[in-house]
Amino acid sequence: MGFILAACALTAGSAPPGGQDTATPSLHLLIDAHIEAAWPEHLLTATASSDAEFLRRVSLDLTGIVPTAAEAHRFLESEEADKRRHLIDALLARPEHAWHLARVLDDMLTERRVNTIKSYDVPRDRWLEFLRRAVDANRPWDRLVGDILASDGSDEMTGPAAKFYLSRDVKPALLTRDIGRIFLGIDLQCAQCHDDPRFPDYRQADYQGLFAFVHRMSHFHDADRKANLIAEKAEGDVTFTSVFTGDIDTTDPRLPGGLAIPDPQLKEEERYQVKPESKVQSIPTWSRRLLLSRELPQRETHGFSQNIVNRLWATMLGHGLVAPVDLHHAANPSSHPDLLQALARHFENTNYNIRDFLRELALSKTYQRSSRLPAGPRPTAARFAVAPLRPLSAAQLGWSILQVTERIATNFQTDAPQSPPDDSWRLDIYEPFEPDVQLVVSAFQGLSGQADGPFAPTAGQALFFLNAPRLNQLFSREWSPLVSRLVGTADSTEVASELYLAVLTRPPSADEVVEVCSLLDDVSELSQRSERVRNLVLGLLLSAEFRLNH
Amino acid sequence: MRFSVPQHTVSRRQLLSGTLGALGVSACGQPLLAEELTQRRKKLLLLFQSGGASQYETWDPKPGTHTGGPFQSIPTSVPGVHISELLPHSAEILDQLTVIRSINSGINDHFFGHYAIQAGHNLPGHPVLGSVVAQQLEQSRDILPGYISLRRDGPKAYTDVGDAGFLGAKYEGLRVINAEPPEYLVRPESVSALLMQSRDQIRRRNDERFLQGRRPAPIHAYRDTFDKAFALMTQRDLFNLEQESSRDRERYGEHDFGRHCLLARRLLEAGVSCVKVTHHDWDAHQENFHWHEVRCGEFDRTFATLVRDFSERGLLEDTLIVAMGEMGRTPRINQQGGRDHWGKAWSMAMAGCGIKPCIHGSTNEDGTEVADGEVNHGDLFHTFLTALGIDANENYQLSGQTSPIGDPACAAIAEVLS
Repeated sequence: MGFILAACALTAGSAPPGGQDTATPSLHLLIDAHIEAAWPEHLLTATASSDAEFLRRVSLDLTGIVPTAAEAHRFLESEEADKRRHLIDALLARPEHAWHLARVLDDMLTERRVNTIKSYDVPRDRWLEFLRRAVDANRPWDRLVGDILASDGSDEMTGPAAKFYLSRDVKPALLTRDIGRIFLGIDLQCAQCHDDPRFPDYRQADYQGLFAFVHRMSHFHDADRKANLIAEKAEGDVTFTSVFTGDIDTTDPRLPGGLAIPDPQLKEEERYQVKPESKVQSIPTWSRRLLLSRELPQRETHGFSQNIVNRLWATMLGHGLVAPVDLHHAANPSSHPDLLQALARHFENTNYNIRDFLRELALSKTYQRSSRLPAGPRPTAARFAVAPLRPLSAAQLGWSILQVTERIATNFQTDAPQSPPDDSWRLDIYEPFEPDVQLVVSAFQGLSGQADGPFAPTAGQALFFLNAPRLNQLFSREWSPLVSRLVGTADSTEVASELYLAVLTRPPSADEVVEVCSLLDDVSELSQRSERVRNLVLGLLLSAEFRLNH
Repeated sequence: MRFSVPQHTVSRRQLLSGTLGALGVSACGQPLLAEELTQRRKKLLLLFQSGGASQYETWDPKPGTHTGGPFQSIPTSVPGVHISELLPHSAEILDQLTVIRSINSGINDHFFGHYAIQAGHNLPGHPVLGSVVAQQLEQSRDILPGYISLRRDGPKAYTDVGDAGFLGAKYEGLRVINAEPPEYLVRPESVSALLMQSRDQIRRRNDERFLQGRRPAPIHAYRDTFDKAFALMTQRDLFNLEQESSRDRERYGEHDFGRHCLLARRLLEAGVSCVKVTHHDWDAHQENFHWHEVRCGEFDRTFATLVRDFSERGLLEDTLIVAMGEMGRTPRINQQGGRDHWGKAWSMAMAGCGIKPCIHGSTNEDGTEVADGEVNHGDLFHTFLTALGIDANENYQLSGQTSPIGDPACAAIAEVLS
């Protein structure tokens, strides 16, 4: 530990934004010190990513889309000092960042769930817009969680946040499990009927204490206003029996590791703001749902800060400090317990600032490692010595494929407004491409209600890549500005350079240039040339190098 | 209750449960055990009566009682055993069937029923039968997906409930609608075979370069799916029912259930581990008796043809044919002449894979309760898997966590397993 502090003192840079004490080293330096302190000697030769690797990776991770060829040119040719730091800040400032992070949060919070009856759920674009606005305003995580848990669907601004409940059919058992998993990093499913037989720290009393917050909730469909609301009762207690021991117990609402919170004593006539009747959303005077929304997102809540920093770490670094991210317990500890604590405390001390945290992660040498293996025995993933190979999400894949056509970039040039007050117009440019992106997303999306697991490509997805007629149309000379300009470029060496920059965000190797030349030299007939160019683009698009974030 | 598990099943699962399995790729590069090659593969054909078939109008009639309705019962090829007059063809082959008359699932909801009956668990997130079988019985040489699900278009909201759960997208049932080949099996017209080949060379060459100095597993996993895809494209004709004789198409029935069952036979013969055929519209809340005449009319002849066919072709020994819905129907006949949802005492039938032909369990005189041999959907799940050579008492071995295959509180029905 002394070594880590000393290393930080020597290399401490300027304090990052967020009101942090200037005497505390920047988080990204702390991260690197912790990670490298655990390494055996031979890993100290682990290499940093090239500019090309870094550009593609950070663009995908912060804006959900690969850069254009023009952006790649600019960044790779720039000799500006600190260009990586400036790139990170530029990407975080773009509206695309909020647009992308909203989808990441949506995936985390709903795992593609939809209410069994679609019309009982919040429409997806309303929910995504709620998240996008929250990210855009850099709403602190604890406040966002509070909004989500408090929402009963009625409020204009936070109504869409009720999607967390509605997408789970407001089923208390499912809510209990997922609140534990998604906000606290623990999966209490097997502790519903007895203490979890596998993990001593997952107790039935913890499950039932959490259950007590949500078991009075139900779905109410207001047919007149076509609204989906959360109704709640003022009574109902939780009594539970262990099917192993036969012991019976009762519990008030209680967060794992926390104290039980009994209901206040209220006279019968005082218990409801709106009494339960048919065709009415019952609203109790004392709401256990609102209690949950106040109590859970606190630094004192066991696992609350650790869970979110671990999940954010996992999205950027490909592997959590606790893995799986929803199964933290004594026999599944963090690979770097001190670092996890440091991250959690930093997050709390910077007011749960997600944007700042992502920035620090991106600035770290740990994040900026190459995906090429160092010499010697291969390090395990938990060493974080090598950048992992991660699949692009379905949305990243869809948007990146459209990006490669260069149709989006062309629209940016032609459709940019004269003097916009801000950058929000950028998101309008993407809208016409949604149907094509959705075509890709439906082929690559994971199952509803399942967190994304390790990379598991399917033959059905390969069939899509090989045979979907639309993919061939998107990369026809008529539709794709990229294909069109490559066809029109006489010098095959130049074609190779532009091709690789556009599709793979890097310059081609000498061999690759030779390959392109052999395919295109002396091919001047238009349709033949178009076919070959399209083939080159699609051949590279279907490669593992495109499919993976590396 | 534990059943002795044949040694080959254990070793096959060990083969497949290594880290490559978790990457969604069958254990390639591992030497195939000789046993795996010569062992005859078990298959499951699940005929799902979506909506809930009435046990009164099928396997457990109660003629002459106040709950029995207008139909009579008929004798079968098993002396002393009668089933509904709506299933005359099935009656002729009852000596080959196992009928369970004593199911108490406690579920009378379509959505929950579709999930729990197929998953064998009440807790959500578990994979359905088809996905389980696909994962447990897969072999590295397989080209076809392990689980294919056939149904007509125009599903109800509950028709597709239940999926591969935590086993992930790889074991998700390939959905075939109206017996049409799945999407993207054919090279688009605008791309010649030569172009396709050249395009693929570019892809493969780039993968070779990208592999240099990088962790190989994800790159191999991705590349292998293209090999599988090309192999799948050569199997397109499997979905062409024109290749079956017109006699067979007539015998199976010129309706979606019949066509799908004929397609199912083709797919199972070609090596698919599980085919599910959904027979729709059993939810007879109104005019129950007319409805069952129609549904049983379709179901009965196709089902009997299937069982006979499989038997004659020597396939019944290794194929488990299961016919059931997500629940039964109420003893009480409502004001529209319908029966409503009923999970307390209902029936199913199955054949093949060493299951003993017999009648298991019974209900009381008017069918309002199970009288004897009560089982639930978890027990049925255990039974199906055991017949297929899978020990449902074991856990899945997946990266991240272990989970029991069958509900630990349930057990296979010993009386029907030989």
